[in-house]
Amino acid sequence: MNVAEFRSNLRAWLDENDLTPPPGDHSLDAHHAQHSRVLRALYDAGWMRWGWPESAGGLGGPMILRAIVGEEVVGRGLDEPGPYSMLEVLTPTMIDYASPELAAEMVPRLLSGSETWCQGFSEPGSGSDLASLTTRAEQRGDSWVVNGQKVWTSFAQYATRCVLLTRTGGPDTPNHAAITAFFVDIDTPGVTVRPLRTMHGVDEFCEVYFDDVVVPADRMLGNPGDGWQLAMDLLPYERSTCFWQRIAYLYSRFDALVGEVRQLGQAADSHLGDAYLALHTLRCRSRATQHRLADGQKLGPDTSIDKVLLASAEQQLYDTARDLMPGVIELDDTAWRTEFLYSRAATIYGGTAEVQRNIIARRLLDLGKE
Amino acid sequence: MDPESLELLEDALRKTMLSTSGAELDAALAELGWADMLSDMSELAIPLVFRLLGETGSHASVLNDVVLLTAVREAGLTPALPYAGGGWVVWDYADASENSTLGGLPLRRVDEGGHLRLPDARRAVGWWLVGASRAMLALARQHALDRVQFGRPIAGFQAVRHRLAETLVAIEGAEATLSLPGDDNPDLTALLAKAAAGKAALTAAKHCQQVLGGIGFTAEHDLHHHVERVLVLDGLLGSSKELTQKAGAGLRARGSVPRLVDL
Repeated sequence: MNVAEFRSNLRAWLDENDLTPPPGDHSLDAHHAQHSRVLRALYDAGWMRWGWPESAGGLGGPMILRAIVGEEVVGRGLDEPGPYSMLEVLTPTMIDYASPELAAEMVPRLLSGSETWCQGFSEPGSGSDLASLTTRAEQRGDSWVVNGQKVWTSFAQYATRCVLLTRTGGPDTPNHAAITAFFVDIDTPGVTVRPLRTMHGVDEFCEVYFDDVVVPADRMLGNPGDGWQLAMDLLPYERSTCFWQRIAYLYSRFDALVGEVRQLGQAADSHLGDAYLALHTLRCRSRATQHRLADGQKLGPDTSIDKVLLASAEQQLYDTARDLMPGVIELDDTAWRTEFLYSRAATIYGGTAEVQRNIIARRLLDLGKE
Repeated sequence: MDPESLELLEDALRKTMLSTSGAELDAALAELGWADMLSDMSELAIPLVFRLLGETGSHASVLNDVVLLTAVREAGLTPALPYAGGGWVVWDYADASENSTLGGLPLRRVDEGGHLRLPDARRAVGWWLVGASRAMLALARQHALDRVQFGRPIAGFQAVRHRLAETLVAIEGAEATLSLPGDDNPDLTALLAKAAAGKAALTAAKHCQQVLGGIGFTAEHDLHHHVERVLVLDGLLGSSKELTQKAGAGLRARGSVPRLVDL
């Protein structure tokens, strides 16, 4: 499929099929309902299925088609970019690690918005040092029994399934061979979800407790000990198509900012130019990454550069908004406040800015161990 | 040009640039076919030649040829090039002994110049800046691995590692802007690329100088050549700060943000 043709067909379809969110309600529930609605419509019309393999309910074609769909959706203000990262990350994980039958059964439910899934990775004691996680899974006959706690689990309150990392190895197993992943139904007895209150007032992050949760053995993703590799394989996906989508979202917000501050005159020029340079640099870098992926190259530690550029550009954009619209973020209750506050987390989630620099130093600059 | 021939060309260019600089390098590049490269394959030749000028620390007046690609003027005339602060400079080998430009580039202030379209030239200086940045990073990286303090190589200290990582991020970002096809708006694309390259080079200079410590401040170490070179090149054809401000003024006038390129 020709990319430009795909884009113009999609645009024409979106012009005819109005998916604009209903006005008024800015709650997380309303956002989630809109997200499901957009996915359903895009899936039924086929758009959400392009770029995914036919074995998992997709229509095939290059992955770059997904980036184009994502860009249009947020560029038109139909949906928020956040939930798409889950989809972009967990679908390839299921395709690579679940049994083909399970992937074929489950992936269409995620892509069509009929289900939401979450990602149970971080724990209270295991943030940057993910390999130290302590949620345990123990084999009992044909099942595994899970005990422990996860945190920062986005959208768990809406989720029906969780891709969960557990420790299955004994004390002598090296960390990176001791971790095993499962595909867990959230309605299993013993699972408790508690949303965390955040400083930006959108309670998307949750704590998830596992108390003697029984998981059938056929819900294991890969083999015992594959969990660390699964987590490592997943990271580049988080930084490819859904980065492109997030960048499209930031550009749409930058358009809005430029509109708001035009009357400031020359005093705004350096601020706007600096934010533009950061976003443009990020967009150029991410574009190259999308094309490398489209050419069949495997993404690796080089995506840490994309991640550093994204987090810095995002924070710079909202810092610029605060500088050029004095008082708006502090005194007025607008989306700028929520977004400014959320941008503070950009250098923390998905691997902190420090962890990214460690990876760049070790893997790209070959500086040896710390 | 196939990858193998390109590699051979790159090797030949690098070898030449490592052994000579200035007017002699101009002559050597002419012999290597610079004029044909520029007219037949400028998309390849400009990044290659200018990046290598940066990496090797040499210089030549080939920027004039790039400027004259799009300028309508008498052949053989040396164009006045805009410099930061609203000034103008020309490439002038004649008065080399009286040259006061930092770091040995034979640039001389002149009072005025004409209006030039500069997309190719800005891209060329951008690649030059990126090449020099890579040279600084290579020097600082090697120093970090070799230099032992507190009983271990300083490359083991996170503060040092993060400065070098930050440098690589800046360079890779600038390269991405330089590699963007600028079909939609060549002038703005090149302006942003030059701004990104200048900014990346200043970041590289700052971090690499710090990692190299005292030795990087001496004239006995190679770093200072590159630091001085990028300070001059940042100002040439407009500094990163000026170009960024200009881009901001453009956004304000337009009322929206050009994406410049699609996937």
